[in-house]
Amino acid sequence: MTSGGLEAGAQRIPGVTVKKIEKEVYEIFIGPQHPGSGHMRIIVRLDGDIIVEADPDIGYVHRTMEKLSEVREWLKPIPLLERMTIIDACNVTLPYVNALEKLMDKTPSTRASYLRVLLCEINRVASHLYGMGIFGVFIGHSTMYMWAFGDREVFVELAEVLTGARLTHTYPIPGGVRRDMPQDLPEMARRTVRYMRGRLEEYRKIFVDNPVIVKRLAGVGVISKSRAIELGVVGPNLRASGVKYDVRIAEPYEVYGELDFEIPVFEEGDALARTWVRVEEIKQSLNIIEQAVNWLETHKGEPVIAKEDFDKLPKLHKEVYEKEGRVKLVPAHATMKIPAGKAVARGEMGRGEIFYYVESDGGTTPYRVRVVTPSARNAIVFKHIVPGHTLMDLPAIYGSIDYFPPESDR
Amino acid sequence: MPPKVSLKKLARKGGLFDGVKSNIHALAIGVKYLVDPQRSTLLYPKEYIEHRPGYRGFIVFVKEKCISCAACSRICPSAAMKMVRVTEIDPKHPDKPRQKQYPVINYQRCIFCGFCVDVCPTEALYHVPFHDIVYENLADMFMTLEQFQVEPQRPAVSEGLPVVYEVDEGKGLVKRRRG
Ligand code: SF4
Ligand code: SF4
Repeated sequence: MTSGGLEAGAQRIPGVTVKKIEKEVYEIFIGPQHPGSGHMRIIVRLDGDIIVEADPDIGYVHRTMEKLSEVREWLKPIPLLERMTIIDACNVTLPYVNALEKLMDKTPSTRASYLRVLLCEINRVASHLYGMGIFGVFIGHSTMYMWAFGDREVFVELAEVLTGARLTHTYPIPGGVRRDMPQDLPEMARRTVRYMRGRLEEYRKIFVDNPVIVKRLAGVGVISKSRAIELGVVGPNLRASGVKYDVRIAEPYEVYGELDFEIPVFEEGDALARTWVRVEEIKQSLNIIEQAVNWLETHKGEPVIAKEDFDKLPKLHKEVYEKEGRVKLVPAHATMKIPAGKAVARGEMGRGEIFYYVESDGGTTPYRVRVVTPSARNAIVFKHIVPGHTLMDLPAIYGSIDYFPPESDR
Repeated sequence: MPPKVSLKKLARKGGLFDGVKSNIHALAIGVKYLVDPQRSTLLYPKEYIEHRPGYRGFIVFVKEKCISCAACSRICPSAAMKMVRVTEIDPKHPDKPRQKQYPVINYQRCIFCGFCVDVCPTEALYHVPFHDIVYENLADMFMTLEQFQVEPQRPAVSEGLPVVYEVDEGKGLVKRRRG
């Protein structure tokens, strides 16, 4: 942006953009103190009640994730990268682990893959519920907020029983996962699934089919199919615009290729369709959770890390695994070197496609870790879709694209 | 069966009848929960959650098992665990003091990832299944070697009752009293 339009001789302050505002245009700054789900700012220019320009001002929660990963030994970026989206911790770190596995030429055991998928889907439901809760409170439906956060707690509990931590699970490691599931987890997961199915029907009645909500969402923030592709929107937002794309079918990773589920796609592209995609995706995730626990229950015996690694474990480590299902690490994990090379991996998070590029120079730390998160791609929607709507529609659009600043800013 | 894409349609309801029907549905659900609410709030500290044994909480050090290998401090992703050097006197050889190193933890930094517990080759570290400990100032969060060996006490234990959360098919998370 230039300072064009200012009279000659006006003082210029370095680093500050000066812009002349039209006489009738009113400028408001929304944020950066937590306007929604994290610190970011949208600078909105209004003509009357109509938004003529919207500028997403991102970067308030930038924590140099990529650079920090370069100074940590290979295993240590896992708990770090989780902090981009703690509500979706397994999905956000799994591609990093997959990339390491590609570099190390390691294959996780099938049991580990199922456990990863199980946690990924638990996370996906939790992430969607989180998004829907925030969305609800954005548009003044505080019941949805309370319900979604209350029901998310059920999935957080499930993840805690599986991994030992509510949110920052640090579950996948190269070659497998850190724990086997407890005996009673399948039963608990099935109860959770049945509970949530019943709940979704109630969500439909009180929220997504509620005439008040429908009036506020239908036809608002429409992203057409070509526009969605052009802007590079990802995830449920893309699938709400009729694009049939999901990494889980475009490039199946783990055991997604063997599971029976659907990728719901809607064509309307408005805020209502985006909400529906999330509801339908929760249903599919519940199906996957069921299939995963059924498989895990009937296929016991295989260790949850790669067989060759398990065989090398000392006696005490095997005893702990037998007794507690906990995979102990070996001191070599702290200092391991990974063969030089480059690897890319992607995965489908709750909010869309996440991409990693990992490069090794053969040392004990990554040479480069590049990560592109779904929210980073979706942020552009604010600039191109919001103008033309009334200010009242902004929360509806923000909430419906489920933008999460900490994930976007990294 | 492999996954597949399924194209769905939004049911566009525009008529007056649909509007009235959906409104009644929404209100009916509201009334249902007004009469029979779903509550899972923990009345802390009158109640506290008793987590399962696998929960990754505070960490306790068992000095007798430690072989001073420093694997725990090396794997710690947040540099919360550090080794300290101590001089130990073996009662059998009082004239020959030995230099040993043991881990200590800084709870300002610890993120409870459990890597240290998992990497220890002798199981000299273990988690206690809770998190709710409060320190009055930041300096107290550095454990000395002596403090690190004592299993911490949760403040809520003295005044509260233990509860567990269970998943119920109809009610979601339900709280049950223990004992
Ligand atoms: S739990 Fe993790 S962060 Fe805490 S001391 Fe152990 S390795 Fe370090
Ligand atoms: S890893 Fe275990 S044995 Fe080694 S120094 Fe740490 S506590 Fe002691």
